Amino acid sequence: MRRWGIAAALACVAVPAQGWAADKVPPLPPYVAAYQPTNVDERGAWMMADEEERHLRDAADVIRDPALNAYVRGVLCRTVGEDRCNAVRLYILRVPAFNATMSANGTMTIWSGALLRLRSEAELGAVLGHEFGHFELRHTLSGFRNRRSGTDLMAWASILIANSSALQMSTIGGFYAFDRAQETSADMIGVRYLATSRYPSAAAADVWERIMGEADATAIGRHRKANQRYAAGFFATHPTSLARATYLRDAAQAIADGGSAEGNAYRAALAPWLPTFLADQVKLNDFGGSEFVLAQLAADGWTTPLLFARGELYRERGNPRDLVAAAGFYQQAIDRGDAPAEAYRGLGLALLRGQQAGPAGIALREYLRRKPDAADAPLITTLVAS
Amino acid sequence: MRRLVCAVIAAVVSAMLVAVPVQAQEKTGVKPGFELRPGTARIVLLRPSIKVGAQSTAGMFEPNADWTAQARENIDAALAQAQNSLGNTVTDYVEPVNADPAILSEYQALFDAVAQSVIEYQFFPGNRLPTKKRDGQFEWGLGGDVAKLPGLAGADYALFVTTEDHFGSTGRKVLQIFAALARVPVTAGVHKGFAGLVDLRTGELVWLNADMQMGGDVRESDGAQKRVRQLLEGFPGKPAAAPVTVASAH
Amino acid sequence: MSVRRFVLSVAAAALLVAPAVAGNKLILPGARIAVAKSTLTVQPASEWNRLGARPGRNAETWTLDGDALNDLTFYGGIESGKTLFRDTDRKNQPLPQVSATMLVTDIPALVENSYRIALGTASMSIGTVEPVAFAGGKGVRFTYAFTRQGETLRRRGEGRGAMIGGRLYLITYEAPALHYYDRSLAAARQVADSARL
Repeated sequence: MRRWGIAAALACVAVPAQGWAADKVPPLPPYVAAYQPTNVDERGAWMMADEEERHLRDAADVIRDPALNAYVRGVLCRTVGEDRCNAVRLYILRVPAFNATMSANGTMTIWSGALLRLRSEAELGAVLGHEFGHFELRHTLSGFRNRRSGTDLMAWASILIANSSALQMSTIGGFYAFDRAQETSADMIGVRYLATSRYPSAAAADVWERIMGEADATAIGRHRKANQRYAAGFFATHPTSLARATYLRDAAQAIADGGSAEGNAYRAALAPWLPTFLADQVKLNDFGGSEFVLAQLAADGWTTPLLFARGELYRERGNPRDLVAAAGFYQQAIDRGDAPAEAYRGLGLALLRGQQAGPAGIALREYLRRKPDAADAPLITTLVAS
Repeated sequence: MRRLVCAVIAAVVSAMLVAVPVQAQEKTGVKPGFELRPGTARIVLLRPSIKVGAQSTAGMFEPNADWTAQARENIDAALAQAQNSLGNTVTDYVEPVNADPAILSEYQALFDAVAQSVIEYQFFPGNRLPTKKRDGQFEWGLGGDVAKLPGLAGADYALFVTTEDHFGSTGRKVLQIFAALARVPVTAGVHKGFAGLVDLRTGELVWLNADMQMGGDVRESDGAQKRVRQLLEGFPGKPAAAPVTVASAH
Repeated sequence: MSVRRFVLSVAAAALLVAPAVAGNKLILPGARIAVAKSTLTVQPASEWNRLGARPGRNAETWTLDGDALNDLTFYGGIESGKTLFRDTDRKNQPLPQVSATMLVTDIPALVENSYRIALGTASMSIGTVEPVAFAGGKGVRFTYAFTRQGETLRRRGEGRGAMIGGRLYLITYEAPALHYYDRSLAAARQVADSARL
């Protein structure tokens, strides 16, 4: 009975998406609740996932804020429906990178770097729906099987064949290509979730276009070439962002659904965590990428947290011109009237490092006045005195 | 030609089936002066950490839930049997309902870190710390607050047990033979385990058994019994060992 | 192909991995010694072990029970443009670099960001930050908390550092928060207090 349901699911999704008319969106496969693993490899993957979840329960990285968790879970349920939603245990991890994961037993994680970069409930739904798609299509397991036989072959090759490097390269390609196909099918089922939800399915493509831009910005910031290509690079586990953006955009246009992306609701829910996630991003030593993320978030105007984060970013890089720019950003934040005390601290330190002791002293004293019990107050006092 | 190749392979295989040149594999550490007389202490056995899987040709660990479940069942049963002949009462740990699981898992993580440090820096040659090399010395512990763990009231000692088995697949074993020809080091299988006794009054690790090449196939009940026997070899307070007659293949 | 050529060609393709044997050395109390291949010296009042493996070219680690249980690391004069410890993936995850213009407030930030990038998570946070005299210069003493990758065991640390002559001098002490941190804190602080250039 269960096997029939899953087989039907696989059959439904196996057909690549081609021009769906608005009234012909294929129905989602019937969902079978309380799925249990049925064979040895699958039980192995579940067991590992169960033990890992024990660790996750205790891990320091998990964000346990009930409001944020309830909000993200609400978006998941609105995207995939209540039945599917109940099978998932969702964890928010404080990791400053764009990622979300799904494991064989229904544990889903989304990272704070993703929450920082997404801009609406629809985009969040696109990411969560994609991850759920992996679970529904039992992808974790097939990936593992394929990877195992690939590495076995490589181990043999390195022993028996003197000049085995060519064989090794193409075998690596083999199991990465398998992952690419899985990612594509998860993308497509994700679009279908969006299509049947109240969110616009165009949101999925939006996400990838921005991620592409950021990857280019990071590369340029590190003095490397920007290289978003159409065909997936040999080692890419995911189709390139451009390829994804393209086929997702095509699928969304074919569906031509509307709906509200709920950008404002998303921003409001993230607001308490935004300064923390921005700080985590700035500390990554990725100037180009961080500038890009900030500029994207500032599309509707530079708010105080964004200006403060930009000041921190430039001050961290610390070249002489950066310090001047940083001082400018802190000042802009201060001029808005709702800047935290740390803005004065940043301004003072940027000026001090830029050899402007007088104005630095004024700013740092203002910081101490506003936050006399700051953790670094004694240290800043010493700096001011000298 | 073919006969020559076969002869070479046969020679290599037989060489390998004799002693594998590895360092001393098993060690016990006891706090100097520690002794435990039978019938004098209450010991709590914490949930053993058990991991069983296969090792693919390339050395990747493949978890196997069936094996692990079997191993857990067998090891639990073997421990239950062994518990009664350790000279003292050994009861299973029961996690209290409202207890914070984080603190227990923090202690288990600390035990693992300490046991690994003992193995890396005292037991086996190659990386010993000079201060840990002195004769008869064994100073390790988890700190005095371990007695405050919920559910340990009334106990004198806590017993921690960890085993990990990666069974070398056929592919890996054959690879090992060919690798020997090429002088590439390839080990088949991982079978490690440690058992440690912690004095709950002081937090000291009074006894630790570590073995990087454990015997007994834990997926079978007699193999698990052999494993548990090895883990608890020299357990303090055990009355003089009854002769063991099981001769299972390694 | 003859057997000999077969064996030789396979052997040629094989990697010979020589185990890196870098012995651990006993540090006796009482004498003043140089650390981290630099002009930084300390005078320990109790014995320690020095690990043969170094975190970086101008760094060195001492321990009592193994670096996972207590870790006293010295960084001796890291110069402008260099990182605190070795980059594991310089292309994609470059560590921040020391700069000669760094202020004392930038020292904990450098340690924090280096650890965040090396550990791959945001679970590294700075606690208290205070001015302190260090190695004859105006320095900073700071505390922090973090977790190693793949572990749940919480760890704590205390660092002391100063910028002297445009170079960073730093001593950090780290241990699991449970029991081990407090156990060797006094001994570690004594060593750091004795630091001189």
